[in-house]
Amino acid sequence: MLGFNRRNWRGMLAANGVLILGLILIGTGMVGAAVTNDVCADCHEELCEEFHKTPHGTYFSTNSQLAEASCESCHGSALAHIESGAPEDIVNPARQDQFGGEELCLSCHTGHQFDDWAFSAHNAADVTCSDCHTVHAVDGAVVSQSTPDLCYSCHSDVRAAANMPSHHPIAEGKMECQDCHGLHGAPARFVMEDTGRELCLSCHTEKEGPFVYEHAPVEEDCMICHTPHGSVANNLLVQNQPSLCLSCHPMHFHATAMSVDGDFDTPQAPERAGSSTPDSFERGMLTNCSQCHIEIHGSDLPSQEISTGGNALTR
Amino acid sequence: MTRLIKILSLGLVLLLGAGLAFAGDDNGLTEKYTLWIGGHYTDFNDYAKKAGEYNLGNDEFLPEFKLNYFSRSDRGIFRLDGHYYDDKNINAEIRTTISDVFKGKFMYRSLIKQASQNLLTEIEAREYFESTGVAGGKMLTHEILDPGADYNTHRQEILGQVSLLLSRKNNVRMIAAHRTILTTGSEQKISSNHCFSCHLTSQTAEVDKRKHQFEAGVDAETGKFDIGYRFGYRYFEPEATDASTYYDPAKHPLSGGAAAEFSSRVIYHDSTMAFSTYPTTEKTSHKVRVKGDVGKGRFSGAAGYSRAENKNTSLTTDAWSGSLNYTVPLNPKTRLVAKFAATRLSADDPFIDLPTWRDGATDGNEYNFDYTRYSALDRRTGKLTAELITRLNKKMTLSVLAGYDRVERYDYPLPDDGTETSKLIGQAKLRIRKGLKYSSTVKYRFESISDPYVSARGMFEESGHDVLTPLVPTSTWIFYFQREDLRYQDITTQPTQVHQFEWRSNYRPNNKVVVNLGVKGKYDKNGDLDSLDVEHFSLAPNLNFNLIPDQRWALTAGYAYNYDKSRLPVTVALFDG
Repeated sequence: MLGFNRRNWRGMLAANGVLILGLILIGTGMVGAAVTNDVCADCHEELCEEFHKTPHGTYFSTNSQLAEASCESCHGSALAHIESGAPEDIVNPARQDQFGGEELCLSCHTGHQFDDWAFSAHNAADVTCSDCHTVHAVDGAVVSQSTPDLCYSCHSDVRAAANMPSHHPIAEGKMECQDCHGLHGAPARFVMEDTGRELCLSCHTEKEGPFVYEHAPVEEDCMICHTPHGSVANNLLVQNQPSLCLSCHPMHFHATAMSVDGDFDTPQAPERAGSSTPDSFERGMLTNCSQCHIEIHGSDLPSQEISTGGNALTR
Repeated sequence: MTRLIKILSLGLVLLLGAGLAFAGDDNGLTEKYTLWIGGHYTDFNDYAKKAGEYNLGNDEFLPEFKLNYFSRSDRGIFRLDGHYYDDKNINAEIRTTISDVFKGKFMYRSLIKQASQNLLTEIEAREYFESTGVAGGKMLTHEILDPGADYNTHRQEILGQVSLLLSRKNNVRMIAAHRTILTTGSEQKISSNHCFSCHLTSQTAEVDKRKHQFEAGVDAETGKFDIGYRFGYRYFEPEATDASTYYDPAKHPLSGGAAAEFSSRVIYHDSTMAFSTYPTTEKTSHKVRVKGDVGKGRFSGAAGYSRAENKNTSLTTDAWSGSLNYTVPLNPKTRLVAKFAATRLSADDPFIDLPTWRDGATDGNEYNFDYTRYSALDRRTGKLTAELITRLNKKMTLSVLAGYDRVERYDYPLPDDGTETSKLIGQAKLRIRKGLKYSSTVKYRFESISDPYVSARGMFEESGHDVLTPLVPTSTWIFYFQREDLRYQDITTQPTQVHQFEWRSNYRPNNKVVVNLGVKGKYDKNGDLDSLDVEHFSLAPNLNFNLIPDQRWALTAGYAYNYDKSRLPVTVALFDG
């Protein structure tokens, strides 16, 4: 189908340059007016004065269909609240939950990313929009904290894992939780199919293949060998080599061979001569499986030995 | 790279111009910016690259900059966030929102990833027979061609996405997104010879991996239903020159003779060939979504198809997927959430044509290793869950979930004789909430799994020498591949029973302070194996304190403890050949 070369690559960079320019030029044309609710402002003066500076205020002021939008658009009828002054007599989105709260925000926020909110784990756990989002923030912030700290405030175990010796670069600011997690229920962006391994392959594409020679657990589930947030083992493995590999594969019987205690020669290639101890075979065969089996995620090239059918993933 | 710098520089210059334009218009304009100028010093003692995996790894002082710019007018919002840490660690993001009509985002981020060099020092041995005092023919040797090499890769990600309202009637919105990930640098590649000695050769290889991804689609509201379509395209290409290595001539490791006999045991020898290559791959996908109301309930559904192709070998995999979610209030305090998802994956099965083993052997005992590689990916999966959530009273919510997962593998472990894994899930969750100040959740989840994924025929159960007949009548040798027939014992690390427990509490005395306390525990076990039980246990208590004086400040302090213990099988060697 479509193919890419260096010219296409440059073209895409240029396209992004145009995008930057577009964003800036569009941004420079921002002018207009704002609307507030005077009755509410009698008591909530500061809130109402600042409201036009919030993302919602900006949006309302420029959408003719929402010209009449007011505080009541989100907070419901204020009549009872005005009479009693009691907080209980007006809708507070922060106090709502899965039995009705989501209707308030999702009646306007109908985008694709919210399609599955009603079925999401966050919703089922009574997490509401305002648990994460600051509706009245005036500096453009739409969340109360930036990620990952916002997410860590509930998922503390992930914070611990993400600081283990092997981790995705979240702490370094190079990944965000939403790169992998659809926080509103929908899949993360750039995930092309609803399979378990696709999420990983959307970034680690070189491991997708399809390869002539497969490693079966790669096709099954990346999490058989890896843990996503952090590990004390190398390369986000659930445990280090060779233990991980030997949990599924028989140990090479060469590991049981006794070796020369001292210097040895290699008759067919004298320059490879070396020195060993009696347990050198054990050390050589039981330290790091992937230094020989280098293409552990799959390969198109046959390994050398016929007896493996070419499927030792060493080439 | 130069072009990239030019484009980013151009963007920055235009951005500064835009900033001046904003500053000149005070009609309803809010403008804020922060320029942070500082630096950082890095010191490494006994530097192990793992400790500084995402660091340049130099003992030096480096300047560091951060820029945050925010502008809001009555029509939209524009913001820029940038962070220069060093020349290999840069973040930049621009976002623009114009009313509900346009949303745009451009992002660039880069990082360096260090990799240590494996010096292969443990690959050095020659077989020794203690009874005779003679050195044997099995040898492990290694060779490092570039011992001082410094391996690292630089990953750059460029992302752009736009959303544009095309029509307020039916709220028709178009989205387009693009992402490129470019990884360059150098890496260690190790080739392995397997004939007259097991010889590993380490060399330095260039890395130049490029991934391009596009997503485009349209969403619309059609009265009762919202519908959407997405097209996805992903292309991966390795641009670096393939690493190559010389494979030794096949011959007896001691005498150097019997070349014909030994060369028949390997697929190639005495030649220089590429190794450790990445294939060029391409993937396309189509997905349609629909959501809406049915009766008193709400549903969302999706159907998708994707095809991945290895452009080097023309192998393809196809994936079909579908999902349907439905939630309905049974009464004002109870709702039911039902979810169903299914996939079908199908992969090409190439024929592997190998040389005939012992081709031309004088005793006539030849062996054909040709086979068809059936893919372990071929499968059908299905998931079904139903969750009942009910508000017991003003403070308490109870949810009960039941689920069933099934995986049918068609060709794993044997062609047309696959395996089936079923999972039953039960979960109960109680949530207590007292206003906005306090909430607590306690959850228990149980999974019962029949026939979990196994490494099929991954282990020997008995000696082979007593039951196998040498393939060559004149010899007493049992060949390696003959022993494979005895490797009938499945082995796995996957559990058949899972118990999960979680307690989480959240205390918010006011809007500026949040305290979290919780514990997670998990125990799983597989007692169905013949040899021994598999067990995992983990416990993770945590305490967090968050102080947020205002939206510009946040102080977080916490302690999280993680305890993991596993009891797993480890296979041992069987040497009876």
